[in-house]
Amino acid sequence: MKRNIFVLALVLVLAMTFVVAKGTKEEAKSVSSTLTVGVDQEAVGLDPHIVTAFSSMRRLDLLYNRLVRLDENMKVVPDLAESWEIPDNLTYIFHLRKGVKFHNGREMVASDVKYSLERVLDPKTASPGASYIAPIERIDIVDQYTVKLTLSSPLASLLDALTSNNISIVPREVVEKEGNLQRVAVGTGPYMLKEWVQDNSMTLERNPDYFEEGYPVSDTIIFRVIPEQASLYAGVRSGSIDVATINDGAVVRQASADKSVVVLNKPGMNVRVFAFNNKRAPFNDVRVRQAIALTLDRSEILTMAEYGMGSATGPVPISASEWAIAPDKLPLGTVDHARAKALLAEAGYPNGFTFDIVCSATYEGGLDVAQVVQNELKAIGLTANLDVVEWGNYIDRWVKRDFDTMIELRGGSSEPDRFLYRSLHSTGGVNNFQFADSETDRLLELGREQTDPAQRKATYDKLQEVLSEKAPLVFLYCPNESHVISSAVKGFVQVGNGSLFYLTRASVEK
Amino acid sequence: MKKPRILKNGIAVAGLILIFLYVMISIVSIFYLPFDPTAMDAKAILQAPSLSSGHLFGTDEFGRDVLSRIMKGTSVSFIISVSATAFGAVVGIFMGVWAGYLGGRIDNIIMRIADILFSFPSLLLAIFIMAILGEHTYNVVLAIGIVYIPQFARISRGSIIALKSNEYIRAAKSNGAGRSYILAHHLLPNITAPLIVQISLSLSTAILLESALSFLGLGIQPPNPSWGNMLSSARKVMLFAPWTAIYPGLAIVLLVLGFNLLGDGLRDILDPRLRNVR
Amino acid sequence: MGKYIVKRLLSLIPVLIGVSLIVFFLVRLIPGTALQMYMGTQVEATPAQLEELKRLFGEDRPIPVLYFEWMGNLLKGDFGHSLRTGRPVLPDILSRLPISLELTIYSLLLALIIGIPLGVLSSLRQNTTGDFINRIIGLIGLSLPQFWLAALLVIGFSHTQGWIPMGNYVPITKAPLVNLKMFFLPSLAIGFGFAAVVMRYTRNSMLEVMQADYVRTAKAKGLPYRKVIMIHALKNAILPVITVTGFNAGYLLGGSIVIEEVFALPGMGRLALYAINQRDYPVLQAIILVIATLFVLVNLVTDLLYAWADPRIRLDEQR
Repeated sequence: MKRNIFVLALVLVLAMTFVVAKGTKEEAKSVSSTLTVGVDQEAVGLDPHIVTAFSSMRRLDLLYNRLVRLDENMKVVPDLAESWEIPDNLTYIFHLRKGVKFHNGREMVASDVKYSLERVLDPKTASPGASYIAPIERIDIVDQYTVKLTLSSPLASLLDALTSNNISIVPREVVEKEGNLQRVAVGTGPYMLKEWVQDNSMTLERNPDYFEEGYPVSDTIIFRVIPEQASLYAGVRSGSIDVATINDGAVVRQASADKSVVVLNKPGMNVRVFAFNNKRAPFNDVRVRQAIALTLDRSEILTMAEYGMGSATGPVPISASEWAIAPDKLPLGTVDHARAKALLAEAGYPNGFTFDIVCSATYEGGLDVAQVVQNELKAIGLTANLDVVEWGNYIDRWVKRDFDTMIELRGGSSEPDRFLYRSLHSTGGVNNFQFADSETDRLLELGREQTDPAQRKATYDKLQEVLSEKAPLVFLYCPNESHVISSAVKGFVQVGNGSLFYLTRASVEK
Repeated sequence: MKKPRILKNGIAVAGLILIFLYVMISIVSIFYLPFDPTAMDAKAILQAPSLSSGHLFGTDEFGRDVLSRIMKGTSVSFIISVSATAFGAVVGIFMGVWAGYLGGRIDNIIMRIADILFSFPSLLLAIFIMAILGEHTYNVVLAIGIVYIPQFARISRGSIIALKSNEYIRAAKSNGAGRSYILAHHLLPNITAPLIVQISLSLSTAILLESALSFLGLGIQPPNPSWGNMLSSARKVMLFAPWTAIYPGLAIVLLVLGFNLLGDGLRDILDPRLRNVR
Repeated sequence: MGKYIVKRLLSLIPVLIGVSLIVFFLVRLIPGTALQMYMGTQVEATPAQLEELKRLFGEDRPIPVLYFEWMGNLLKGDFGHSLRTGRPVLPDILSRLPISLELTIYSLLLALIIGIPLGVLSSLRQNTTGDFINRIIGLIGLSLPQFWLAALLVIGFSHTQGWIPMGNYVPITKAPLVNLKMFFLPSLAIGFGFAAVVMRYTRNSMLEVMQADYVRTAKAKGLPYRKVIMIHALKNAILPVITVTGFNAGYLLGGSIVIEEVFALPGMGRLALYAINQRDYPVLQAIILVIATLFVLVNLVTDLLYAWADPRIRLDEQR
């Protein structure tokens, strides 16, 4: 009898497994006009003027439009504005498309643009986009489809700024009714929000009134949140996911060797940097910074920390091909241990010194990079201790400027002004390097004011040289934007800043 | 001299052997390791275990030798496990003994504190403490130690209470023996049995707790090797490089098993009721 | 007995208040704030914006004031809003409760189904090789780190569809078979270790019971061996197993945190980890309070069962 209990129990467990396995065959439906996208983080909220997380931006790519957007070559192209004029460097006139409808059926007109931009600029909204368009002084409605922006000071990067998800065009009545747009999505975008199950999935369905003819192609897009990159890859392989955003080098490497999936790589807009606290000794001595700049080997770091999935870069992200100068063409661009050691000795550290590198194992904390850097700096006698902290701690240290050096991932832009001004101007909002240099400031201000492309190019060329020479930080590389997609997916194109906008062109053949 | 009881128990012996093995590895690792556990080798990334390359357990995502890292992690695991258990035991027993012996309000207050600590699942409490204190090795010891306090407090209190009403204690009191004397000479020696078992249990759980914390990124930080953080970095590569996950895990299992075998054997010896039923 | 229950319930109140104090003040000791997390390293804010943000994130008032605000709202049933997403906290937690509950229950069931029969078997064959092997396997089960077992299961099942949750959770009421399939591996990861605990306790309590006088009497009276075991021993051995399950609820709850993380199940454990990560104080406070309360209640029920079974403890409390 006692033996029977045991056997019975075992049989029960086995039977359950069998039944469950059999039963799920029925669940495999194939709706070929559904695209399943695997991402590793849930969107925090959906209000375009408020959110900061990349994960939220990816949903906004499909739910809202801006005045202009970036195409797959990171060029500014029309979105809601079909054309524009710039009569002088303080005035911009946008002509809007006619007949564009919000998801609630109402037509989008000039007053919506005015409302949206003003909401962004309003301090009460506390929008991250405000700093991008701060110089806008007045917004005038010329007629129902024409908006005129007047700036208080020139901002050459304005058009680029207007492509940001944070400056999407939203309908006033929905904001006033709901308080904010975190949980609802009423935009003009190619997809509408159908269902959102927190930390699980988000279902978008096609907007039948979308203004681009013939798009979007797929009827439904489902976002699934799977925090494990390896599981995302496994999902694409097994067919439960069609497109997966994967940024882990090891997984991408593995997927690249796998014939059953397709790996798309594109140079990204984010910049991995090794940051100095320019106010702290010994990093207040430019020679020390230069010595380190001469020791860090970009290609080795890329191989070890990113499995080669990226491109070495200088101050302007290398994929902004109109502006960027390759790092090896800039001062201190090639590894030179002898010169580095000489500089250290000159600065008074012939035997090197010890210092901390703040980094984190999660998010953009760059622990892998830190470990490689630590290794490399041994060659010139420097001992780096890794101060590995948890992400919240990392941000705390960043905010308090409490670090010797730090590994950071910065959001770059294809327009040099937007990225470099805020990061390196002495009054820049994210200049946590505490770098204050009058020559840099002057060049940054010049680049912002000038409108002639040839002049601007000369200014930014000079700026890249100066920044490399003075090395307030070392610009290392731009990681690739990688997507692992099933071979049945057609039409998807990547954008360097990670945007998923071109999912509108994608379909799955099952 | 008669053979000590403990050696007669096969299970306890098995446990001792495993633990001894690890102690040996720990000592050896101070003098010799097959490779430098933190040395990166770009040409040897994620290599499968092979005799010819010398990487008996393969390499990780930085080309570091897995076996060397496991060996280096052994001392860390031991130190944390022993220190945390010692901390929790000392504080917990102190609290529990006084609570049990003195009774009344002091008992209430002490046990309320223990209850509050006890109302959190162990891992959650440890995570919480680590988040506050920061991810340093000594904080891991503190966090796990604090988690253990209520258990030791309860056990020692329970034993003291059960013993207090004993005849010979009352006899000693009526003979004029002081409180501390009774405590030291009559009570403490007799509560050792359940405590010893709890200690061996705590030693094993400490290793599991530390590896769980490191796994979640809140314990020992890379590049210092800990079995838990090795498993954590193995997560993203384990589907195509399973050795990075299998061996560190195995290291955890065998040491924890050693402590558990020892604890079990001790329980067998110290609890006469279970010795033989037939 | 009734007085004892009331006493214990009353003693819960200071404990829960203590928990709420600890949670509230200690979470704010963790370096970094929700506002900082929100702004990250990329956001610039003008002083006017910063003021507004501080107000939104509750950083413009002293902490004790915030505490009393929070407690006041709590007593009215308002658990506040997430700092990160702005959504009300309680519905979010409640929506995740079923998932954690499912995970815990399935793990428990698996553990009982595997553990009890093996434990009984082992006790009847004490000191034989079979018993020895069983005990070793049981100890191995105890020694397995859950996340390692989970990792092995993921490696093993990675090529098949449907066994590993992929952001496609459906409640059991909607699609029971998909649901069960998805929970099987995670429950196994937790349940396997717990099965070992159950097995050992079953074995030990069976051994104790079989030594008891009344069982010996029954055997001496000539009752058939099997009947004796089944009717008397098993019945009396089950209670300690139930209580040890209760005492180990922490193991199950704690295990669920890691397993939810590894298998990406949207349960309460993952929410707690996320809240700590993001310094989302209202969510963190609420969730720790909920988990601690559940835990304390389970412990209380277990203690009560234990006291009901063992009079010594009750008497002692009445000193």
